[in-house]
Amino acid sequence: MAGLELLSDQGYRLDGRKASELRKVQARMGVFAQADGSAYLEQGNTKALAVVYGPHEIRGSRSRALHDRAVINCQYSMATFSTAERKRRPHGDRKSTEMSLHLKQTFEAAVMTQLFPRSQIDIYVKILQSDGGNYSVCVNAATLAVIDAGIPMRDYVCACTVGFVDETPLADLCYAEESGRVSSLALALLPRGGQIALLQMDARLHQDHLETLIEAAMTACKGVSKVLDEVVRQHLQEASVLTGE
Amino acid sequence: MAVDMRLPTLRKTVALQDAAFDRKDLVVPGDVITSDTGFMRGHGTYVDDEKLTASVAGEVQRVDKLICVRPLKTRFNGEVGDVVVGRITEVQQKRWKVETNSRLDSVLLLSSVNLPGGELRRRSAEDELTMREYLQEGDLISAEVQSVFSDGALSLHTRSLKYGKLGQGVLVQLSPSLIKRQKTHFHNLPCGASIILGNNGFVWLYPTPGQQEEEAGGFYTSLEPVSLSDREVISRLRNCLLALAAHKVHLYDTSVLYCYESSLQHQVKDILKPEVMEEIVMLTQQKILEQEG
Amino acid sequence: MLKSKTFVKKTRSGGVMKIVREHYLRDDIWCGSEACTICKQESTVLEKDACSDSTICPYPHYLIPDTNVVLHQIDVLEDPVIRNVIILQTVLQEVRHRSAPIYKRLKDIIHEKEKHFYTFTNEHHRDTFIEREPGESANDRNDRAIRTSADWYGQHLKTAGPDGLKVVLLTNDQGNKQKAEESGLLVHRFEEYIKSLIAHPELVDRLALSNDDKNEITSSKVLFPEHLPLSRIQAGIKAGSFLQGTFRASRDNYLEATVFIQGESEDGTEVLIQGLQNLNRAVHQDVVALQLLPRNQWVAPSSVVLQDEGAAKDDNGDEEDEGKVLISTAETARKPTGKVVGIIKRNWRPFCGMLNVSQIKESTRHLFTPADRRIPRIRIETRQASTLAGQRIMVAIDGWPKDSRYPNGHFVRSLGNAGEKDTEQEVLLLEHDVPHQAFSQAVLSYLPKMPWAITPEDMEKREDLRNLTVCSVDPPGCTDIDDALHCRELENGNLEVGVHIADVSHFIRPGNALDREAANRGTTVYLCGKRIDMVPELLSSNLCSLQSTVDRLAFSCIWEMTHEAEILKTRFTKSVINSKASLTYAEAQMRIDDTTKNDSITKNLRGLNKLAKILKRRRIEKGALTLSSLEVRFHMDSETHDPIDLQTKELQETNSMVEEFMLLANISVAQKIYDEFSECALLRKHPAPPPSNYDILMKAAKSKHVDIHTDSAKALADSLDVARVDGFPYFNTLLRILATRCMMQAVYFCSGMDSDFHHYGLASPIYTHFTSPIRRYADIIVHRLLAVAIGADSTYPDLMDKQKQSALCNNLNYRHKMAQYAQRSSVAFHTQLFFKNRGILNEEGFVLFVRKNAIIVLIPKFGLEGTVFFDSKDKTGPKLVFDEEGPTLMVEQHTFHIFDKVKVTISLDDTNIQHQKIRMSLIHPVIPGVSVSASDIEPQTKKPRLDH
Repeated sequence: MAGLELLSDQGYRLDGRKASELRKVQARMGVFAQADGSAYLEQGNTKALAVVYGPHEIRGSRSRALHDRAVINCQYSMATFSTAERKRRPHGDRKSTEMSLHLKQTFEAAVMTQLFPRSQIDIYVKILQSDGGNYSVCVNAATLAVIDAGIPMRDYVCACTVGFVDETPLADLCYAEESGRVSSLALALLPRGGQIALLQMDARLHQDHLETLIEAAMTACKGVSKVLDEVVRQHLQEASVLTGE
Repeated sequence: MAVDMRLPTLRKTVALQDAAFDRKDLVVPGDVITSDTGFMRGHGTYVDDEKLTASVAGEVQRVDKLICVRPLKTRFNGEVGDVVVGRITEVQQKRWKVETNSRLDSVLLLSSVNLPGGELRRRSAEDELTMREYLQEGDLISAEVQSVFSDGALSLHTRSLKYGKLGQGVLVQLSPSLIKRQKTHFHNLPCGASIILGNNGFVWLYPTPGQQEEEAGGFYTSLEPVSLSDREVISRLRNCLLALAAHKVHLYDTSVLYCYESSLQHQVKDILKPEVMEEIVMLTQQKILEQEG
Repeated sequence: MLKSKTFVKKTRSGGVMKIVREHYLRDDIWCGSEACTICKQESTVLEKDACSDSTICPYPHYLIPDTNVVLHQIDVLEDPVIRNVIILQTVLQEVRHRSAPIYKRLKDIIHEKEKHFYTFTNEHHRDTFIEREPGESANDRNDRAIRTSADWYGQHLKTAGPDGLKVVLLTNDQGNKQKAEESGLLVHRFEEYIKSLIAHPELVDRLALSNDDKNEITSSKVLFPEHLPLSRIQAGIKAGSFLQGTFRASRDNYLEATVFIQGESEDGTEVLIQGLQNLNRAVHQDVVALQLLPRNQWVAPSSVVLQDEGAAKDDNGDEEDEGKVLISTAETARKPTGKVVGIIKRNWRPFCGMLNVSQIKESTRHLFTPADRRIPRIRIETRQASTLAGQRIMVAIDGWPKDSRYPNGHFVRSLGNAGEKDTEQEVLLLEHDVPHQAFSQAVLSYLPKMPWAITPEDMEKREDLRNLTVCSVDPPGCTDIDDALHCRELENGNLEVGVHIADVSHFIRPGNALDREAANRGTTVYLCGKRIDMVPELLSSNLCSLQSTVDRLAFSCIWEMTHEAEILKTRFTKSVINSKASLTYAEAQMRIDDTTKNDSITKNLRGLNKLAKILKRRRIEKGALTLSSLEVRFHMDSETHDPIDLQTKELQETNSMVEEFMLLANISVAQKIYDEFSECALLRKHPAPPPSNYDILMKAAKSKHVDIHTDSAKALADSLDVARVDGFPYFNTLLRILATRCMMQAVYFCSGMDSDFHHYGLASPIYTHFTSPIRRYADIIVHRLLAVAIGADSTYPDLMDKQKQSALCNNLNYRHKMAQYAQRSSVAFHTQLFFKNRGILNEEGFVLFVRKNAIIVLIPKFGLEGTVFFDSKDKTGPKLVFDEEGPTLMVEQHTFHIFDKVKVTISLDDTNIQHQKIRMSLIHPVIPGVSVSASDIEPQTKKPRLDH
């Protein structure tokens, strides 16, 4: 039997979306009282919880402190029940270390760390359910958590994975698409300025396609940013109504 | 033992009036506040391409030419004179490190505390060795911000009899933005307990001391058992604080007191049930409005 | 815009796994009808007045076929009469899952605008999506989904469309039909509907036989063992008790086949299958599962040539002789033998062939004999038998029940009268899967606009070589000249040699329709008197052809050489040339030989010739093989295009001169592109044959007391060179012909997918094709690679994708193979035409192979091979003793060896119009009862149907 048909002739994908359509994004900020900032985000069936502590005094070895900016400390983990197969995921395996590093790089580009010399910002993200685009969902959730924590950022960081099938870029891949033979690319964008915070691609892709793919990824990221923006404003208004201002 | 169980219910969404949606003073990171170059850049903003841009989500505040954005929730940004409640995290040479919910641990210099023996006592090398006897890791103190270092860290002092080590009581950690600035943050509430509303969002509830023991110098802590009634009052207050915080009501002596009064018809443990909480807070807000109005 | 609803699908694979997938339901999927007033669609597919002349549906209507209708009746659906059909996504997915070729055909129909086929994405439509209910099977759910969609369409058109527009559900499933009727849908059986199209009775013939129909035909007798279900086959393969492989029927013996097992071992093994029962309804090219028989039942491949001659009536009559064949022969030659237990994948396509009209006059059931002898006869049902008799037709197989001697099929289309040249040509193109339709408008639109001229932009990246004395040497009548040469002395005394190849890649840009078409065709196919171009004629015979005295774009490979042909420098460049002369091989030869001529062209040629000789010598020293095969050339009558003379092609020195430089260019280019693109260079390799391939050659040589060494190409070449038998000058050529048959096929491959690059025949470590881009697509790719390597062109994604490259190679290899076969068939057909006109000839020939009941004779004069049979079915043949070691065949008193000289009569046997054959009968040596006398003019009547 042939593999799955990722994009039908009518332009529909496996789950009924069109090529450039995102999955449904739902999010909530401030889900934990004890953390400085927290957020929960669902992008389709991928669900992530992000928690931010800080900025605060460096914990652990003080030598990590930077005299001109804050240290960002990221930790990515996946719940044992997050994938189809239940699997114990030891802390600090190669995959999550790499993901942590990518998150760190992403947020170092966006958070105004220079405002907080010698301090530390912790971003913890946990995938509760995984259905493709884990990195992007983590970034989006963490962005909301950082905003919730009141930590200054240049802009939102929005991320999205895009894949390339039949000469068409597909936005926001789900797991079934990601696991097919698709060259996928993850992009984190500061949407207003259009600056790229992180771009990651493991598969091979001809350079001619790269531009269209990045273009599609940026459009998708902007779509995500619109949703996030709505969530943040909603949250802001709710809070300000409550405080009676 | 009776156990309270709750079924999941739909989260209540706050009804927003249409007007609330286009409030211009609410900004999110990346929003351009003004492209007029005549303004000064304050906290929560940055200049990008000659445009004053918000870097946090919150409310724009303008003081003359200074524009800043106050985030809804943030770490404590201490100012000189703020009353804080904090916890000792480290004992160093000549100073303590105090966790005060600010971005860096605050510093309490040995020279900024009143040692037993009076204000004018010289600090000897011996005192440095016995610092841990006065305050050790984990102790709670109340203090006042003396100055702010260039990196944003706070320097504290306890050179008043109001301040010093805290004894028996309950610490409630809340968001600093909920604490209303007032002349005094120390209150002996009529309900029979005292409260320290630290500007840093740490609130200390303790039994009202019988009489002021002058010579204790803030390092004496009473270990006498607290009566059950006092404990109940303190517990009720704690829950009231949490209820108010959950509904983002500003905290000061009156609001706390009104809330306490409104809660009296419920058992202490029931106060945190969402519907009870809502009812109590509503009553409180009504009372506040009546009083203000 | 997104109505999203998440639902949970559970599947189990291995362990328990819960798979959750999102499924978005939309409300922006339109109905596709022109008549609809609600849907906000931009373009519509279904026509407003969708009337067909069906008697049971006299109102305008759209058709909704279910999956089985599509799967089985695709031939009917392809007919232009059937229009305005809604293909549901559910159906499309099921078809895709069940049969790739039908899926492709269905997609082709959908793409065809005239057919008005609309794909309705019902699985994602808010109103037509249904969930599987507990206890409902997947099939039932799909049927229900189809009904739901049909219902939705009905309601939708009622409200949104004009009055009377309806949808009709077509199904062959009784249960489904009943349920549909219950829910008030218009539903018909497919046959009913087609039969109701009274204006188009021919469609009825194309209906595939459905299950109910089959029951009528078949006797209750079960002829074949049941096929195992797929699950058991898979389990068996996993457990190692079954083997999986591709079924290859034997050309010579319909009761014998081999299955090629793609096993762990590198080249795979072959398993022999003998006997109708063991073949168990497998058809050539099917992927089958088979079980090995115990070792004591293993047999040797029979050397008998046997054809299925059973007529329709004697379905059961053949069985007796089918049993006899299984008697095994020489014990030593036994091969692994097995039996087919199940079919993993059918690989049926429509087959060309002819109808054997049933003897019963009114019968509508007839047997169809495919042209390809590896395909069994097919039973079809048609009312047009009388018209179809004597025509070449196409038939598709529908199924092969276990109680039927022959597979059941249905008529697809007619190709024309048998024996006519056009029909036969069409048949052989179809049978060899050669794409030969005219180029579509889309393809032609990418051709350069005429009048075409070289623009200054073209010149920018090109070297102007128009001043060089370039000339081309080709066979006579060649219009697609893709190579030209030049040679000149440089100031430093060295020689500069240039090979200039038509710059086809300049005109064919990657990815456009023209490029895709060329890639699909893969190669130009040369038939006798006809050329099936790979690229449109404007390019092949004009713009790309390096004709003389016009400016043409070229891709040049230029060497600096010493007079001893040592290469000092190699350079590649895009260029513009102006050929000074287009010569034939003979003309070029004449110029070289004519000492009086001393013009620059002639000097050029002499220089080239001198170098070529050195190059060739050097190449042969390295171990390149010089093999031989006879090629024939027909002289065609200019009016009738009938062959009037036939001669073997002559080779002249100039042939080898051009060839030598082409080889050199190919090797140089291969090295260059491999250096530049180690992962995705398109190269050509020629694997060394396994030693067992040489057995026949060694045996044959030994019979003449000549030793052949096959340890290496060099050894083989040397021993072939010294192999001579006194008084038998033709021996060496014969030996080389035999050696050629031992070789493997040379193939294209992608350098990133293979590690063995060696070209055995040319004794070159690396090789590719660069020099004929007009007629080979591989060369175009190589051109593109080379252009990128020298910075003259930019790369594109597919060029660097080794998977795609490799897929392309597979297609090219397939097309090349098929083109060769087609070419041979075409020669064979023209040979037959030739002999038809000639009557009977007596010629001398040599025995090339010896079989158990026949000898194969080569007539050098015509390059013709034929079989002389010594036995026949209807009468007892002469006494035959076959010795496999020799191999020799003793017929009565006379023993035939390989290379024996014989005399035969050649005539055309046209008793079977489908398989007209050159028939040879022995004249000398004279064997009583076997040979015929030279004057025997009417052999057909004596031995009817001896050997077709």
